[in-house]
Amino acid sequence: MLDATILLQILWTSLATSSYYVLFAVAFALVLKVTRLFNFAQAAIMTIAFYTAFVAVQWLMWPVWAAFGGMMAVTLAASYLLERIGFEALRKRGVSVMFVFVFTLMVSEFVAYVAMLIFGTWPQTIFPTIFWPATLIGNIAISAWDLPAIATTLGSLAALFVFMRFSRVGQFMVGVADNPDLAELYGINKRQIFLVAMLIAGVFSALGMFLYGTRAQVLPQTGVSLMLFAIAATIMGGIGNIAGAAITAVILGIIQNASILVISSEWQGFLLYLFLFLAIVFFPNGLRLPRRHVRFGTATRELAPSPDTPAAESKA
Amino acid sequence: MEYLYGIIIIVGLYVILASSFNLIIGYGGLISIAHPVFFALGAYASAVLSRDFGIPVPLAMLAGMLVAFVSSIALALPSLRVSGDYLLIASIGFQLGVLEVIKNLRFTGGPGGFTNIPPFLIRDLGRESYVLLVMVVMIAVVLLVQWIARSDYGRAMSAMRDDELAFASVGRDAMWMKIAIFALGSGIAGVAGALYAHYFRFIAPEQFEILQSAAILTMVVVGGMRTTWGPVVGALLLEAVPQAITFLQLPPSVLGPIQGLLFTGLVLVFMFFRPQGLVPAVDVWRAPQARAGKAEEFRP
Repeated sequence: MLDATILLQILWTSLATSSYYVLFAVAFALVLKVTRLFNFAQAAIMTIAFYTAFVAVQWLMWPVWAAFGGMMAVTLAASYLLERIGFEALRKRGVSVMFVFVFTLMVSEFVAYVAMLIFGTWPQTIFPTIFWPATLIGNIAISAWDLPAIATTLGSLAALFVFMRFSRVGQFMVGVADNPDLAELYGINKRQIFLVAMLIAGVFSALGMFLYGTRAQVLPQTGVSLMLFAIAATIMGGIGNIAGAAITAVILGIIQNASILVISSEWQGFLLYLFLFLAIVFFPNGLRLPRRHVRFGTATRELAPSPDTPAAESKA
Repeated sequence: MEYLYGIIIIVGLYVILASSFNLIIGYGGLISIAHPVFFALGAYASAVLSRDFGIPVPLAMLAGMLVAFVSSIALALPSLRVSGDYLLIASIGFQLGVLEVIKNLRFTGGPGGFTNIPPFLIRDLGRESYVLLVMVVMIAVVLLVQWIARSDYGRAMSAMRDDELAFASVGRDAMWMKIAIFALGSGIAGVAGALYAHYFRFIAPEQFEILQSAAILTMVVVGGMRTTWGPVVGALLLEAVPQAITFLQLPPSVLGPIQGLLFTGLVLVFMFFRPQGLVPAVDVWRAPQARAGKAEEFRP
């Protein structure tokens, strides 16, 4: 029987598991916003992050803090190399968008096959167990993983907000995202800003994979599936809208978890592809809610104007 | 001899797949990684119709082609309505999503695969006849793609690919042309799938996974995009390499990743060091504006 406890439990579990989805979506949306690039190679960065943490914990027996530090260092190095050796070279050569798409996809697949060769095709986790002790609050089971995961995500989002809003580099990122050529005229070094965006995305991807890998099993191809979720959230959240991507990731996470009430578990994975298809068909410019303006004591409702023109998207 | 016939048929089918993919990505400029899933749809449709519904194999093969053709329109229409870039994203979801559906449905045999597919020609006329059939289809597909590329329609495709705005400004409908190219290429992949199913008589979802996307893309990129013979050379070469690796007698858990590494690694190497492929066309990967000496496409 469906009761309030079950619904609240599903809602809580969905919120907790959304923590990593949000990080992946923000990483993808940030790179898209600043560099106007659908970075499918994010899956490669995610794969590298997970297996670095896995090797550090399970093979080298490092303490958690050292494994986390090692994972961050390797992920940042991979993000740096991807930007400097990959994307920067492609920009200089003036290749087509198709080339960049294929390049990022192939990088993701290449890294997945390397992982398959080294670690095999069976699922792995960062710690030997993914079962966390749970505490009953009311009748809701809250695991020891949930609160740190949610706190990590909220903390990361707050840090990103402060960085983008108040730091000079963050403001430069917004400037480059709005108009890269104009930003360059004002003396902003685009090259550095692209690198910063890629490094921040790397940090978010690594954080997300650390959370995911301590709660669920990971295969070499898991990064691609998780990235598709991030793409769906980014498109539905509105391209260029990082907060929209984060909120959409939470909503999609809740829908996916709550779907267990109406469909069998083996079809839950299929929902991801349905989200992606629906995002492209019905919300190519993102979900836009009517905006309420209150002026002089009167409320009027109007649709928010779309800043994303089709031409701008086709360049994205 | 049976082993040799198997290899000839596989090479022939990959030439068909690579040539039809070249039509989509090379001549049409459309990015998709879902080609293996249309191969799968053709194979499954033909196999299910002939085994479970008793439909004659040639008709089932035709139905397989139609299923792939119609499915590709269902994928391309909403994606291209928004932007060509969305086709790639949609194709990733479509590739993984359809395989997920096939794995979960009972009548497709699920993850275990679909067995006892009725053979075609082999019992009455011998395996040589099937090899001949595949070769005839292969030659027909290569010539068809060449004919399309050199025809007025092919020139219109080039114009559409190089400058869509100018193409639309003379009253041509770029979206429907893209859909037509995509559907034709995918329909051909469906034929290849049907031919595969009725020779090997066993199909499973794992045979159509993303490794196949990488393989077909590698054949086109390494062979040479936008050329008639590039995909043929690519398919011959890239099918020869895995055959050579199988002689090393590596365990399947190592063989699969090594093949994947070879395919993806070759694409990356060729993209950076020989983007025109082994059979070169002119400047295939450069942005149209950059070719004309204007702004680059990938330059935020």
